Amino acid sequence: MTTTIDKAAQALSGGLILLGIVGLGLVETLAGKPFAPVPLTNDAGEVIAQPMFGPELRTGLVLAGLLVLALYGGYKLATPVEPTEGATGHETVAD
Amino acid sequence: MSYQATNPLADDFEFELGGTTTAYWIGLLRVITGWWFFHAGVTKIIESGLNFGYGPAYMQQMTGTALGPIPVWMGNNLAWLIKPGVPLFETLIGLALMVGVLTRLAAVGGTVFMTLFWVGNAGFGHGLVNSDLMGLLLFVTVLVLGAGRYYGLDAIIEKTEFVRQRPRLRYLLG
Repeated sequence: MTTTIDKAAQALSGGLILLGIVGLGLVETLAGKPFAPVPLTNDAGEVIAQPMFGPELRTGLVLAGLLVLALYGGYKLATPVEPTEGATGHETVAD
Repeated sequence: MSYQATNPLADDFEFELGGTTTAYWIGLLRVITGWWFFHAGVTKIIESGLNFGYGPAYMQQMTGTALGPIPVWMGNNLAWLIKPGVPLFETLIGLALMVGVLTRLAAVGGTVFMTLFWVGNAGFGHGLVNSDLMGLLLFVTVLVLGAGRYYGLDAIIEKTEFVRQRPRLRYLLG
């Protein structure tokens, strides 16, 4: 059964990961070159355009999302679990 | 559009997670991901034993990343652990995934490794979504799906009385 904590963890982690990869990626793409989160250089090696968002920010958002998932996993480990079906199961007699 | 051949008017669609094809694919995904890490680890052991000097050097170069000074500190102070740890843990993670034992625990280890590779390689020339991120997602997928239950030994281990009495172990197995 999905609880409020399950939903909050999923929304927060998914939101952070998608913001870092898709959200900021879309803004950066629409803003023009460079389309990748690294500086654009010419043949001489000079930087001619900087990305709108550095990779540190975007990878950081994804890592924060993964951290939320890890904390959620820790929470699941620490909270009581339902017994397995085999341990508490009972046979139902067919009609 | 209907997905049911017997009833063209039905509009429901079900992707049966317990189905044969899904189980087959999740099992295959797990074994190939395992082989990837096993190969990476065992070849390091063959070449340099448990003394992988590039490991600490790689961490020391991770300045200015989203992980801040943590990997640099680790590279400077935990070389004694990283040198044998990288080849050893890569090999063990790979083995665990291939046979499907302690799959989720191993996948957590793989996720930590891939996070360091993704953030530290810092290529990103072709975008943020590169093969390192895809590798990271593979490990998280194996973890979330409990891929060891599909043609893995965890499926058998989880049925033992020991695990039944300790249901929390299913978060490390599976």
